[in-house]
Amino acid sequence: MQMIRTIIRPEKTTEVLSELMSAGFPAVTKLDVVGRGKQKGIMVGDVQYDEIPKQMLMLVVNDEDKDDAIRVILHVARTGENGHYGDGRIFVSSVSEAWTISTGKAGL
Amino acid sequence: MQEIVAIVRANMVGPTKLALTKAGCPSFSCAKCLGRGKKGMDNATLRMVMENGELPRTPTGESLTEVGRLIPKRLFNICVPDDKADAVIRAIIEANSTAHPGDGKIFVMSVEESYVVRTGERVDA
Repeated sequence: MQMIRTIIRPEKTTEVLSELMSAGFPAVTKLDVVGRGKQKGIMVGDVQYDEIPKQMLMLVVNDEDKDDAIRVILHVARTGENGHYGDGRIFVSSVSEAWTISTGKAGL
Repeated sequence: MQEIVAIVRANMVGPTKLALTKAGCPSFSCAKCLGRGKKGMDNATLRMVMENGELPRTPTGESLTEVGRLIPKRLFNICVPDDKADAVIRAIIEANSTAHPGDGKIFVMSVEESYVVRTGERVDA
């Protein structure tokens, strides 16, 4: 299993969530986060903003579904034709175990 | 070292904290989050509620929410030594289980390195 954590623009969240749903990824967790990227935040006039509000979506998928989920997120969360700075990141890490609390069973 | 990511009901933070303390791993961090699981709407329960006209209990009510609606949850991040991981997972399941969908999920990942900020010392295991 793979955990996909993606940090995206807050205004893109609804669209990404509904596309993930129709692509067969209903299970998602959403967190409000603030952060900055490689561009060190945004410079507006003399003021630098380096705590930019973003939203983090976290989903755990089977190994074979990973590329599908990433493709959906990349496709929907990108702004314009070629994308812009600040569209976000996707991080993938491997998950060794998953448990469902209500049944106490292992697996997704 | 293992990182345990547990998503639990919003009202289960207290019992989970207690269970962690009893399991000997009191340290954790917790965040508010929203989430949805893989279950769809349960038509049988919905029909039952509509016919009886009763307000459903919380777990039932949750199973009636429309598909795709995000439900408030709490996200625990707990890092524990390898040998304690199983005990902690058991403790979380025991504390949170109401046997209804929506109780939450637990994910386990391995952590390569960890450091204590105060001393700069590296902690393995």
